[in-house]
Amino acid sequence: MTNDETQSKDVSTLTTSGRLTNYNNAIKSGLEKGISFTKLMDQLINTANPDELVSAATQLAGFRLNSDFVTFPHQYSNADYYLLFMSRLLELHDQGKQVILHSVPHREELSQQLTSLGDRGSFDFIMENNEGGGVFYEEQASGQRLFYLNLEKHMMRFNSHALTQLFIIDYRGDVPEQTIKTALQVLIDFGTYLKRDYGFSVDFNILDTANAQIYPVKDAQLSAEIVDKLFVSAAENGYMLQNTDRGRGAVLQLPDDVVVTVFDNQKDGTPEWAIAVNDPNQAVSWFDVILRYEFMRNWYLNNLGQLEIKSDPLMFT
Amino acid sequence: MENQENVHTTEPSDNNLNTVIANKLSYLQALQTAIQNQDDRKVYELLDQQRYDQEIRNNSEAQPTANAQLVADSHAELSHYLSEKLIDYLGHTYPFFYYDEFALGQFHIYFGNWWDRRLFGSLDVLNVAFNFDSDEFNKLQQTFELARSGKRLNSDKIDEISAESEQLQDLIDQQDERDAKKAALRSQMKENSQKSTMPWDSGKVKEERQQLIDQLSDLADEDERALNSNKTIKENDDRILALSKENTIMEYEKQSVEGTFGDFNKFQAHNQSLYVDYLNSLFGAGVKSND
Repeated sequence: MTNDETQSKDVSTLTTSGRLTNYNNAIKSGLEKGISFTKLMDQLINTANPDELVSAATQLAGFRLNSDFVTFPHQYSNADYYLLFMSRLLELHDQGKQVILHSVPHREELSQQLTSLGDRGSFDFIMENNEGGGVFYEEQASGQRLFYLNLEKHMMRFNSHALTQLFIIDYRGDVPEQTIKTALQVLIDFGTYLKRDYGFSVDFNILDTANAQIYPVKDAQLSAEIVDKLFVSAAENGYMLQNTDRGRGAVLQLPDDVVVTVFDNQKDGTPEWAIAVNDPNQAVSWFDVILRYEFMRNWYLNNLGQLEIKSDPLMFT
Repeated sequence: MENQENVHTTEPSDNNLNTVIANKLSYLQALQTAIQNQDDRKVYELLDQQRYDQEIRNNSEAQPTANAQLVADSHAELSHYLSEKLIDYLGHTYPFFYYDEFALGQFHIYFGNWWDRRLFGSLDVLNVAFNFDSDEFNKLQQTFELARSGKRLNSDKIDEISAESEQLQDLIDQQDERDAKKAALRSQMKENSQKSTMPWDSGKVKEERQQLIDQLSDLADEDERALNSNKTIKENDDRILALSKENTIMEYEKQSVEGTFGDFNKFQAHNQSLYVDYLNSLFGAGVKSND
């Protein structure tokens, strides 16, 4: 006998009161689920404790509110709790004003704006397609996924492609440099808090300002012609691209002691061309360089096929 | 020994041989002392007495001395030793040259420290001379000559290639225009074929038809060229890049020479008098006294 047959036989043999008890219990457990949901919501909305905050968000991210006997017609999508979490975490660090959470009228749906960008961008989280349990932070109009977040696995990964497409290609023309920097700083801060408060593994990618950060480019065997192009355009802009002292590569000295190196960061004899940005305060990223210097930006964008900084291939292909 | 009686000798003067060997010993001794004292000037004098006498002492009757041969098989080591001070000196007088000791005592000269700087020749340490690569040197000379008429080395070539690319781009851009023309010509062809075929008209109709066919085939040729244009434009871009890069390098080299020597002729003059200038700079400089 299969289980199904056993169960149906059991149900059919139940007395009326037995059935009612079962029904009542199912409703109770459905309602209890609702109650625990509201408690988690309370926690997510009100707690001032970072640990309680992330715990509520993590549970809500995978919460199934409906049960067989109790369904709730008005529900936010799981991804919306990430937006709420993000706002709250920034708020706990006195950065709450940097984002604006919008709720869509007559519907349970949230979206977010970065305060400095205003109407220029509307952001939300969307669930990963596979069973990974993570979400992508996406600009709704362009579909650019700026970073990946997984509360369960404690990880965050920025996406160089999307950051370049949205902020350098789409926005750079008519959004002032400082506005772009302010907007991105919110995302960087969010990542920093995840790292500091919860020990997340965060890859800031092209936004990373640490001198130790090496940005590998898409074409590991970068052709010398690409570097030649930078050499020529740097010269036209009054900068001299120099040879590196060691190994194969080139160095560009920019104002404020910012030094950009394009070099073969060889590993066991296998070429791996990469870019590095060094500055005394460790405050400048590759993104900052292409945001500020037009000739660097043009060089990067014109040769994106070879130069695009690699992102974590597990989330971004 | 038994054989001794049979040996024919030409009055070997023990004294003479002694003198010869003593002379060699004293030469080597002097060389060793000079090196111990880091008296490079003296080392150069010992290595080529004749040149030293001629160029430093202005003694035109100087004779070559054979003793320098004694260290002929130690040139690599001597060159390595002498390079230290020489390169130090050159670092000040020719700040744009960089040296790479690719083998003991052998140095490549690189011009500048910019990206893909050129291998410009080699440094002859023992003779205090640059051996410039003649192609590279000529390019630099040409750059200076062209600069007088406000031109850069590859400007003409770049202009020429750019013009070709522009033409090809036009050809690509005019595709729609050509398509429209072709459509018009084809409908004319159709009209033409429906025209009266009366014998007195047939010559004219034929002629008209041939004209249309010719025009269509001209357009097809242009289409064909447009199709290949993208490839050519890409190749031209690569050529322009290589030429622009060379222009940039030549400009840096020219600026370096100007910044240090003022102009090309003075640079040349300095190259010619390098031996004299360098050895004179060594007089009284940095010689360790013998304890």
